[in-house]
Amino acid sequence: MTDHPLVQMRGITKRFGGVTALQDVNLEAYAGEVLAIVGDNGAGKSTLIKILTGVYQPSEGEIFLDGQPLEMASHSDAIAQGIDAVYQTLALADHLTPAANMFLGTELTRKVAGIEFLDNRRMKSEAARVLDERLGVRLRSMDVTTDSLSGGQRQAVAIARAVYHEDLRVLVMDEPTAALGPQETARTLKLIKALREQGLAVILISHSLDDVFEVADRVHVQRRGRRVGVVETANSTVQEVLGLIVGAPANDAA
Amino acid sequence: MSAVATNSTSRSLMERLEPYLAIIGPMVMILAILLFMGVAEPARYFRLSNLNLILLDAALYMPMAMAMTFVITQRGIDLSIGSIAALSGILMAFLIKQYGFPAYVAVPLALVLGALMGLINGLIITRFKVPDLIGTLAMDLVYRGLALVIAKGLVLARFPEMVTEIGRGQIPGFIPVPVVIGLLTMALGYMVLKQTHFGRYTIAIGSSPEASEMTGVAVDRHKVYAYVLMGACAALAGVMLTGKLNAIQATSAPYFNLHVIAAVVVGGTSLFGGRPSMVGSLAGVLLLSMMINALVTLRIEFFWQSVASGVVIVSSVALYTWIQKKDRDGALGLLASLRSKEAQRMFRFSAALLGALILLLAIGAGLAVDPTPSG
Ligand SMILES: Nc1ncnc2c1ncn2[C@@H]1O[C@H](COP(=O)(O)OP(=O)(O)OP(=O)(O)O)[C@@H](O)[C@H]1O
Ligand SMILES: [Mg+2]
Repeated sequence: MTDHPLVQMRGITKRFGGVTALQDVNLEAYAGEVLAIVGDNGAGKSTLIKILTGVYQPSEGEIFLDGQPLEMASHSDAIAQGIDAVYQTLALADHLTPAANMFLGTELTRKVAGIEFLDNRRMKSEAARVLDERLGVRLRSMDVTTDSLSGGQRQAVAIARAVYHEDLRVLVMDEPTAALGPQETARTLKLIKALREQGLAVILISHSLDDVFEVADRVHVQRRGRRVGVVETANSTVQEVLGLIVGAPANDAA
Repeated sequence: MSAVATNSTSRSLMERLEPYLAIIGPMVMILAILLFMGVAEPARYFRLSNLNLILLDAALYMPMAMAMTFVITQRGIDLSIGSIAALSGILMAFLIKQYGFPAYVAVPLALVLGALMGLINGLIITRFKVPDLIGTLAMDLVYRGLALVIAKGLVLARFPEMVTEIGRGQIPGFIPVPVVIGLLTMALGYMVLKQTHFGRYTIAIGSSPEASEMTGVAVDRHKVYAYVLMGACAALAGVMLTGKLNAIQATSAPYFNLHVIAAVVVGGTSLFGGRPSMVGSLAGVLLLSMMINALVTLRIEFFWQSVASGVVIVSSVALYTWIQKKDRDGALGLLASLRSKEAQRMFRFSAALLGALILLLAIGAGLAVDPTPSG
């Protein structure tokens, strides 16, 4: 872990009409670190990371990447800067193969007589390679449609799409384990750890404090649109974080 | 763990079959027709001239079925293709007969005009957010109306050789020219579907519009492309029809839309999007042409054709929906669901409706008088 945060969000406020979803929120994430964001329903977690990934623009506040101010008008701007997200819905097209999904929107092509065709064979081998080498996942067949995969495998395909970009530096995951069973959850947490070892800054939104304490280095707690505390998992307990989330006066609350 | 394993093996058999279902379905039906006609009317049905007739009829629908496969795979529908075919044909006819355009200019012009009509459809659906069903139904009226305005009641006939070649030419010792055109468009469609961005995004859009949008696929633009392709192919069919009959009028090509949608759906392309089958569409076109030809051969009244087409659409959609359902319980589950309270209510409701019908018929028959004098 380095001293300078890789991403820094400063004084972020977001209003939707009359609703203030975020109020003066700061966030720091470091390379080679897993930062968890926790909070009750409606605390502003999804809104915060949608601002980080360029989906929403903040009403007030600034974002810095490597100390440089970041202006993003859309999600593709964020991707170009090396910030990508795996949403809860995974954004997969169920009737396409895993490889087709991984390269959806950024297909590999080859030219035949000056006309551009999809290079299905290369996409398939590249997809298998990335899944295996970076995520340690091997699918029984690369030719099936994505809807026949298990929840964890679908997750892996969505993550593989994000990490395929060599310059990916920040990966955001919105409730990646919400729909998974115990085994698949364990596998996804292992995946997250592998990405941390590869030097990514991983930001994880989760309602499961058990998962958070297993993989995260630090926990950012949101309540009613505000950041109410940041704790290191090594020096904290589930009890303390729970206290911050619900706003109970824990003995040593920040 | 063991439960998971057995589940996945039993599913893998279905999975291995699934890609071929689209072809197996229509093939079984084609076989059924062949068997039936083999018993009922073998002499007239299996004549070479009759097979030629079937192919000629099917060729007309192949380009449209190809394009409709893209439209339906994107969860769209286009009901205006009959009118686009007629209007494009009429416009081409006027350009040739009234303004003396050479055929080799007028024919591509007709295709471009059809593509423009498709562009209008696509923009209406994507820009103005008019649902495709209503949008293309309304444009069907517009294009048909324009064809009537332009042609009045005229039948335009006798066209240059190029046009009749396209519609009914015969390559000596080989198959007719329109069949070559039809098969070529189908093959081209197959390649576009598998090998190009447009084909890939068509499946993605039909599979999950939200996911496509999120991953940066230009959803609206590719929807418009599909309607433009549809329009151009409908115009091509208009040209082929004009050539085939060596005549065109504003009321030509009345039921193209339902016929083509039926062929595509029978071929296994899912109406719920994301599952195309180009080979299935070809089989579907052949199946419908064989069926209609069989009805004609059996000298069944023309109007039964529409009854037959409708029954084929409904039964094949129901069949594919049932096949693609992942959690079938088999016949036992079906029986159990028939015995449920809800099913019994539906049964009593239907019985009451039928009862009312029978009662009214009985009263009518009882009180009936000799109908002739009133006139
Ligand atoms: N597009 C929007 N328009 C209006 N209000 C919104 C919008 N998106 C979020 N909000 C509001 O902002 C607040 C924060 O929502 P957000 O989705 O960020 O919560 P969350 O912490 O992700 O909750 P959950 O745990 O349920 O996912 C909520 O009150 C929500 O109603
Ligand atoms: Mg959320």
